[in-house]
Amino acid sequence: MIFAALGLVALIAVAVRAAGGDQVSSLHHLYLLPALWAALARGVTGGCLVGLVAGLVQALSIFPLIERAGPSWSAVDGIVSLSTPLTLGLTVGRLVDQSRGRGAQLDALLDIQRTLAGEGTLGQRLAVVAELTRRALGVHRVRLVLEAGGADRVAASAPAEFCPAAVPPTAAATPCRRLMLPLDAGRGPAGALIAERDGDLSAATRGMAGALALHLSLAIENARLTERQRHFAHELEEKVAGATRRLRELDQAKNEFLTVASHELRTPLTALQGFSELLLTRDVPPERARRYLGHVHTESKRLGRIVGDLLDLSRIESGRGPELQRVPLDLGEIIEANLEIFASQHPRHHFDWSGMGSAPPLCADRDAVDRMLKNLLSNAIKYSPRGGRVRVGTGVASDKPGMVELSVEDDGVGIAADALPRIFDPYVRISNPETAAAPGLGLGLSLVRGLAHAHGGSIEVESLPGKGSRFRVLLPA
Amino acid sequence: MRLLAHRLETERSASLAALAGQLGLVAGLTTLGCALGVAGDSLAGPGSSLGHAFASGSVHAGFLSAGWILAFHGRGGWQGPALRGAGALLVASLAAGLSPVGAVAYLLVPLVVSRDAIGWTARLEWIGWRAPRELRAPFVGVASGVFLGIHLLFAASLMLGYPVAVPDGRRYLAAVAYDIGANAVTAEWLFRGAVFSALWRRWSFWPAAAASTGLALLRYLLDPALPQTAELVAGAMFYTLLLGLGCCALRAWSGSLLPGYLATVAFFAAYRILLV
Repeated sequence: MIFAALGLVALIAVAVRAAGGDQVSSLHHLYLLPALWAALARGVTGGCLVGLVAGLVQALSIFPLIERAGPSWSAVDGIVSLSTPLTLGLTVGRLVDQSRGRGAQLDALLDIQRTLAGEGTLGQRLAVVAELTRRALGVHRVRLVLEAGGADRVAASAPAEFCPAAVPPTAAATPCRRLMLPLDAGRGPAGALIAERDGDLSAATRGMAGALALHLSLAIENARLTERQRHFAHELEEKVAGATRRLRELDQAKNEFLTVASHELRTPLTALQGFSELLLTRDVPPERARRYLGHVHTESKRLGRIVGDLLDLSRIESGRGPELQRVPLDLGEIIEANLEIFASQHPRHHFDWSGMGSAPPLCADRDAVDRMLKNLLSNAIKYSPRGGRVRVGTGVASDKPGMVELSVEDDGVGIAADALPRIFDPYVRISNPETAAAPGLGLGLSLVRGLAHAHGGSIEVESLPGKGSRFRVLLPA
Repeated sequence: MRLLAHRLETERSASLAALAGQLGLVAGLTTLGCALGVAGDSLAGPGSSLGHAFASGSVHAGFLSAGWILAFHGRGGWQGPALRGAGALLVASLAAGLSPVGAVAYLLVPLVVSRDAIGWTARLEWIGWRAPRELRAPFVGVASGVFLGIHLLFAASLMLGYPVAVPDGRRYLAAVAYDIGANAVTAEWLFRGAVFSALWRRWSFWPAAAASTGLALLRYLLDPALPQTAELVAGAMFYTLLLGLGCCALRAWSGSLLPGYLATVAFFAAYRILLV
């Protein structure tokens, strides 16, 4: 195109010469046309080049006139005339470059916004943005360097560079200019935009790079916020799903509890009703009546224990906790008494107590400790085979200073690892074909945990399916 | 941020003092060559042109050597190529002084310089010792030089009344050979190659082009062979200015010294028609 404009200059020169254009005349204005054309097509470079050539061509006719006529208004007129194409080419070319730059900038900004709002990781999107920025600026390389994200930012885990790799390395014959601009959206620099060009970076490119850097920093900040929101939304969704699943499980557990509780409550009630009815309606011999009354007493105690457990659990769940009366206890005495009772009731099980005679002093609620031990022993017997071994241990917790531990270990069916987090929840009974027939409301372990917490202690469990379980209650000394 | 780890400039210059010392040595030798040439002409009496030829060859040898020094950043390795180039220039100058036909020897100078430069291509790429990035660049260079030369001829004939005529063939070819082997080579090698490239790396295009063209103008102003009438000096400055800026633009655009060299040769080929 520039060659065509230069050809036009030559044609005009011939035409002006043929028309006797040695005199300064309006014909010289024709030289403006190729300069204007080149400026519109190629900006400053084209406009200046063709304007310069047009001026030089005009000079061939104007300088001799000036030489002959000497300094005069006509000479000034001639100099203005020959400098006009260059001035016009420069001015129009700059305007064209500016308007093209603005257009490219707007297009690039739209593309950048669209890219940053798109799919993919932030790193992938920034790589595309770097390429778009490179094209918009008309430079050879663009780097987007982002700092490592702070705690409140979602960003690359390490300082990251995003550099389009399509551009070959620069030739050493041409110096490389770099322009580095901070990406600051008002919260401090989040990185830098680095534009590299072989040759010079024009003022228009510098200005455009500054504007793009500002928009880029805002867009990147927005993209980070969006990513953060997505991240939080995902987390929230997972939490809600987890909570919903948990509520469903609890609902199911409560339904199961109601079924089991009805059964567990009805059994002693049936016995109480049956034996009391026999005693009221029939003439029963004293020995048999005594035996019936014994059954009534046992079942009423069982009923009382169930109701007591329910009341305690209700208090614990409501946040009030059981009423504790802390007194110095002889833990060995409690263990010994319970082992004696359980051994008499379950003669086929073997009971070991490793800490006999060396139980540490403990200040706790006697009834609560007794109930915790009973529940743990009851579970150990319930979930271990006949002839199984139940080991009770006590002592100062070596890993928890200031705590006394009470442990019950069995070699029963054990608990699956995924069920372990739920076994202390109320109303939960882990489904297991081997233990399905075992009676229980699913309150025991929950109650033990509640009582331990009420003392300021805790409960831990270790279990292997098929090998057995070990529960360890830790209470403050 | 790994900003500083990328593409660092590893071509470090020798110390400024060492560089100045080397350039001073070349300047001293050039001055000595000029003095010997003038003294030789004085001793030989009128009609002798060998002394003048030797002085002219010394000046161009100095320019060429200075170009090698700057191209090598003042570090070692420039001495051999500079000596060979200077030797070729002095021999060509003396041969041209003896007879216009001897000016053919000037054509050896670009070959000698090219032979040495080819061995150092990687090290000399930064001054533009490489092929142009675009195939049309040499043609654009020739067209620019031709345009300026024709403009000069028209302007000179229209304004100053110099007739444009076909000159004496042998003298004309000798002058063109001088431009091909000495004038254009040293101008491109030193002013557009070493000086402009070094300044362009530190400044932007226009200051670097202005400074290197200013030095080239100074070289022509101080040239005793240039006619000293006011209008000729003004015209020479005008065209040298345009030629210098144009060659800088060609060097920057094409990445190579070749288009500027061709433009210079084409321009001076036209100029010789006028002055010879």
